[in-house]
Amino acid sequence: MDNRKVILSVKDLVIKFRLRGQILTAIREASLDLYEGESLAIVGESGSGKSVFTKSFMGLLDANGWIDSGNIMFEGEDLAQYKSEKDWLKIRGKKIAMVFQDPMTSLNPLKTIGKQVQEAIELHQGIKGEEAKKLTIQYLSDVGIHDPEKRYNQYPHEFSGGMRQRVVIAIAVACNPKILICDEPTTALDVTIQAQILELLKGLKEKYNLTTIYITHDLGVVANVADRIAVMYAGDIIEIGLCEEVFYNPQHPYTWALLSSLPQLGVKGQELFTIKGTPPNLFYDIKGDAFAPRNPRALKIDFVKRPPYFQVSPTHKAKTWLLDPRAPKVEPPESIRALRQQWEVESNG
Amino acid sequence: MLKYSIKRLFQSLLTLFIIVTVVFLLMRLLPEEGYFGDAYEKLDEAQREAILTSMGLRDPIHIQLINFYKNLLKGDLGESITFRPRVPVMEIIKDKVPYSLYFGLASIAISLIVGISLGIAMARNKSKFWDKLGTGYIVFVRAVPAAVYFLFIQIYITDIFKLPMLFKIDDPKTWILPTISMSLGGIASYAMWIRRYMVDELNKDYVKLARAKGLDSKKIMVRHVFRNAFVPMAQYLPATILFTISGSIYIESLYSIPGMGGLLVEVIKRQDNTLVQALVLIYSSIGIVGLFLGDILMALFDPRIKLER
Repeated sequence: MDNRKVILSVKDLVIKFRLRGQILTAIREASLDLYEGESLAIVGESGSGKSVFTKSFMGLLDANGWIDSGNIMFEGEDLAQYKSEKDWLKIRGKKIAMVFQDPMTSLNPLKTIGKQVQEAIELHQGIKGEEAKKLTIQYLSDVGIHDPEKRYNQYPHEFSGGMRQRVVIAIAVACNPKILICDEPTTALDVTIQAQILELLKGLKEKYNLTTIYITHDLGVVANVADRIAVMYAGDIIEIGLCEEVFYNPQHPYTWALLSSLPQLGVKGQELFTIKGTPPNLFYDIKGDAFAPRNPRALKIDFVKRPPYFQVSPTHKAKTWLLDPRAPKVEPPESIRALRQQWEVESNG
Repeated sequence: MLKYSIKRLFQSLLTLFIIVTVVFLLMRLLPEEGYFGDAYEKLDEAQREAILTSMGLRDPIHIQLINFYKNLLKGDLGESITFRPRVPVMEIIKDKVPYSLYFGLASIAISLIVGISLGIAMARNKSKFWDKLGTGYIVFVRAVPAAVYFLFIQIYITDIFKLPMLFKIDDPKTWILPTISMSLGGIASYAMWIRRYMVDELNKDYVKLARAKGLDSKKIMVRHVFRNAFVPMAQYLPATILFTISGSIYIESLYSIPGMGGLLVEVIKRQDNTLVQALVLIYSSIGIVGLFLGDILMALFDPRIKLER
């Protein structure tokens, strides 16, 4: 992994919002290196900041939010310093494009889908008219829309949810970006369609050499598409590693809890695991490990000092004091131990 | 579209039929003194009966009604009975139309241009100074009865700018205030609707996608937001335009403009049955045509709307 080129590097990013006169810290010194050509999944519960984090790469924060400190390095420029719309227009679509969650509302209901895709092409690929139309039809067929010549002239309401998401994806890809951010691309879709859309995204990533970021709270999606997983909690990435590493050898108690909540890991006849308590209130300063108050295995230091990253393997690191050599030995829950064993058996055999 | 139009035409005719019948009957319920105006005292019982009989008002009510329908089908709206006796009503109305039409058109143009610009400016500066100022204006115009500020405009503005109080056909200075007064309400409505619909649209996901796609905010406004915000307005536009050009009842009487609006008030007071019926018929037809055009306009703008199944 180390020999791959870093395409986007976020360092100690802090994002704040002003809400009803109070200031909320949505992202708390999060750092991330995104490698060229990889597929990274950011997982976390609602409100953990995963959407806000990626939106800040495109200057799409809501009007009451701002980057307070930190850098977002991309192609030699610090995006965190961008202020005007003019700056961001160099990035939006052209370099980083986004697929949104809800295809039912992401398209303009009064414009033909052909025109909406073509708008992206004309904006970023420097061609117009008939030629752009031809390319539009090409993209529509790329995302699996049958009879694209006819569909070009149809309106969003003539498409099903899955088909609309394909159009939204076509728009993002037609911008010809380097990085594609998929913000819960399958959450609003039928389960049977979800797999198709993920397959499509995987295919397009190869075809157009995209680096992709998936934002999701569906670990099933992650397992399907991601090379690496970043686990986000209370505005920070608390664990990041290769897909197998995070799934089978999780280190942070929050990752344990998250995985234990998977119905697949539940034991028949027993209640499904839930994480007790609620995420911390982001209006207040968080002391120590943000997850400590909800963590039955929390150490004393977890309430006092924020843990740094501890390297587990060259590709895997986590922010938990449990990884400190001085920490007492804390056993993960049963289900996580089972995962670990399974993984050890598999990787040895 | 043709099938829809035909269906709609029959519905409209039925509506018109009901309206004119109700108005016809209501006019017959008014006290009879009204037909004589100031002359009432000077006439004795027999003379009054003779006049009413000559007006056809002593026929049984169903006969009167049937005669009215028959004439209507022939295209004959009848003659004025009290306002200008024996003059065909169409002739009276024809003279009034140009005044209402020209004032109406001028006021529509002003309302649309100023109203829509104000609405856009308000939507773009939501919750800032211009938005608040505009909202203040809209609330004022819509909350205070029009009669109040129309009157104040007539009294004080004419005084300040030394303008004549009443309308004179050959003095363009007297055209200004009625036109402005007539536009105030329209400006407020258009600004309010455009602002409201644009703010609605601005919060929609497709605008976020358009931003993420890399469109600049001006293009987003023009290509996506304004156009979409205009659609719900399109439905009401023809009706309001037609109503405006058919004359403002209050403004016309205030400035003594000899238009259709003033005429209606006058002939109701004078109990000129035939003229009232004719004017109501015209106003209702205008309303119905306006709504119909609104529906068609809407269907043209919004591909999701199909007029027929």
